[in-house]
Amino acid sequence: MSWIGKIGRVGRIVEPAQDAPEATSKPPTGVTGSLQLRHVDAGSCNGCELEITGAFSPVYDAERFGARLVASPRHADGLLATGVVTHNMRQPLLNTLHSVPEPRVVIAVGDCACNGGAFAQGYGVVGSIGDVVPVDVEVLGCPPTPQQIIQALRTVTGR
Amino acid sequence: MTTPLPDSPTAPVLGEGPRGIRLTSGWALLSGCVTAALGAVGLAIGLNVIFGASRHLRIGWLLPLVGVRFDLDPLGGVFVAATGAVSIAVGIYAVGYAQREHWARFPLIMLPLFVAAMLLVPAAGSVTTFLLAWELMAAASLVLVLSEHHRDAVRSAGVFYAVMTQLGFAAILIALVMLSAAGGGDAFGTIAAHVDSIPSGTRTAVFLLTLMGFGSKAGLLPLHAWLPRAHPEAPSPVSALMSAAMVNMGIYGIIRIDLQLLGPGPHWWGLALMVFGAVSAVFGVLQASVATDLKRLLAYSTTENMGLVTLALGAATILSSYGAPEVAAIAMTAALLHLLSHAAFKTLGFLAAGSVLAATGLRDLDKLGGLARRMPGTTVMFGIAALGASGLPLGAGFVSEWLLLQSLIHSPHQDNTLLALTMPLSVGAVALTTGLGIAAMVKAFGVGFLARPRSAAAEAAREAPASMLTGMTLAAVACTVFAVAPVLLAPALRQVLAVLPTVGGDVAGPALGTFLRLPGVAGSMSPSLIALALVVAVLLALGLARWGGRHRPAAAMAPLWACGADKLSSRMQYTATSFAEPLQRVFDNVLRPDTDVEVTHFAESQYLVEKVTYRTMLADPVEQRLYTPVVRAVTIWAQWVRRAHPGSVHLYLAYGAMGLLIVLLVAR
Repeated sequence: MSWIGKIGRVGRIVEPAQDAPEATSKPPTGVTGSLQLRHVDAGSCNGCELEITGAFSPVYDAERFGARLVASPRHADGLLATGVVTHNMRQPLLNTLHSVPEPRVVIAVGDCACNGGAFAQGYGVVGSIGDVVPVDVEVLGCPPTPQQIIQALRTVTGR
Repeated sequence: MTTPLPDSPTAPVLGEGPRGIRLTSGWALLSGCVTAALGAVGLAIGLNVIFGASRHLRIGWLLPLVGVRFDLDPLGGVFVAATGAVSIAVGIYAVGYAQREHWARFPLIMLPLFVAAMLLVPAAGSVTTFLLAWELMAAASLVLVLSEHHRDAVRSAGVFYAVMTQLGFAAILIALVMLSAAGGGDAFGTIAAHVDSIPSGTRTAVFLLTLMGFGSKAGLLPLHAWLPRAHPEAPSPVSALMSAAMVNMGIYGIIRIDLQLLGPGPHWWGLALMVFGAVSAVFGVLQASVATDLKRLLAYSTTENMGLVTLALGAATILSSYGAPEVAAIAMTAALLHLLSHAAFKTLGFLAAGSVLAATGLRDLDKLGGLARRMPGTTVMFGIAALGASGLPLGAGFVSEWLLLQSLIHSPHQDNTLLALTMPLSVGAVALTTGLGIAAMVKAFGVGFLARPRSAAAEAAREAPASMLTGMTLAAVACTVFAVAPVLLAPALRQVLAVLPTVGGDVAGPALGTFLRLPGVAGSMSPSLIALALVVAVLLALGLARWGGRHRPAAAMAPLWACGADKLSSRMQYTATSFAEPLQRVFDNVLRPDTDVEVTHFAESQYLVEKVTYRTMLADPVEQRLYTPVVRAVTIWAQWVRRAHPGSVHLYLAYGAMGLLIVLLVAR
């Protein structure tokens, strides 16, 4: 039963919550504290993915504010999109968006997702997420920190 | 006669011109109607005998020396009635099937003959008549199995079936000749009167030989190998007749000869029946759950169900010999009811598989699919059959399997080691069988009929014609009666149970009313009320869902989620092979699958996969272990004997002279 002892030794490692930000958009389902997101990597360098992993890890724990990552867009209230949109990922991004039931939100994470970042005007690039699908929330940063991602998510979850 | 050979290269010409088609249609109509009429006569006679007096018929001139003798009692009556009922459905179905498949004339003539031979077997009242009817049945079925003999697989299955059925016949022949020699007569009645004078060694030999012969006809392990070969290759109405009616004759033989005529035997007879039954049931269902050929799956399911019936017979024998007649009566009822319900759902299963085969030309589940929209009638029919074979409530096999489990659970085994060991083990075997049976049937129905078609042939499927649907509907009605209203069968079953061995006249069998009550045992159940409750619950749930959703906006159409890709293809669906893969992995030691995964990389980089080939071969392990060495030994021996056949007429004449000399010397 070493794991029970380990729980005691490690203790709580979660970062203290920051002040709740102003809610910018209403929760898509009309329920505060519940936001199910499907993550789409439209052509990211995976820097943002690492930070998203951090945001949902026990240290930053985005789930205590009601945001969750889900496996299927059919279960989701919105998309968490990262990276510039490459030609190959344009149609899958649209397909995924159309598979999310309405009303839905699209959250673009990272500079590339918001304005093309370092890869803007690249030969394989269509544009930013906003050039392909309507974006509701943008999180700037290359990459944004987990706190920034969580603060952005909290503006939608309302917690 | 100037009839063309059946299915010879000239036969399809018959079906080409409009006159030819009309001719085939006429023959098909005639053959189907005669088959159904024979079935109706059989059903009427069977019911008449069950409720009325026994019938006796003796035709002295038909066979030299002994004549032909028919004695029908309620036990034979129930088998005649069951065979008749199966034949009615199959006969009506065969009209449409034979027209659609352009059957040749010869199998059309053999179909009613096969039914007639099967009706004669349980009516036989003497050893000679029994053997005559048995051989007629075997020969007729062999001809029917071979009706598509231009295909290699059919010929190989035919040879396998011919050898096994004739070996079985030889075993029965020897056993019955020994029996009639020891019993002092040819008629079953005479033997029954002198049964006490038969020495125990003869009894044991007769029991073992008949168990072998009848067991091979019933498809019990290890003599089941003809079943998964002959049933898939035979035309579907013939498969239905063989699987639902002919295998029953094996059980009839065991009941009539071993349990009624020779019984009550020593304890180990019942134990032997239980062991053979349990092993057959578990092995049959395992093979069925990994089979991808629809008709092969159904054939293995026949082995499974006959195993369950034999297990129930063995349990009844052993329980009655240890002085628990009430529980034995429950087991006997379970055996009888399961036999009949198996006849109903297996008829329906093979007929529905036949209409799939006629519509698509496919038996491979991995290539079927999407039939629910294209063949709704057939899909519903197969669904009813699959439900029956899974032994769930609303299915035909539910009541009998429940009775069997009750009899095994409630067997009194306070101070009896044998019962204390066998009964819980049997409960486990039955439970495993039922569970795997559900998996097999979910696979057959879900992969075969639902989702999208996996091949062009399945996509172009059309619904079966009216006569085929009518035949299937009759079998479906029978399934429904077994599932929800066994009360309708109760009077007939009571009459049969009264004459059955191990039950006897004075022991009260289980009461099959609206409530099934088991006398002497705590346990009752009502299949009708369970069915009613299920239907009410489903309707209630539907109503509540509709009421709860009355304010919802209209449903919007959305594209299928294909993980971001543009569309799903039917190749992405679950197949029968992938459905069975976990089971194949778990039962690896028994099934011994031969799987092979081959990955081809691109020449440019070994990190990129060009293609993956997956090949799996599931051979019957019993066949490989047991049959292959025997066949090899026989072949070697035959090669050795062949040296005596050099083709010289003089030598053959010398053999004849020597043979005559030896006979004269021996019989001096």
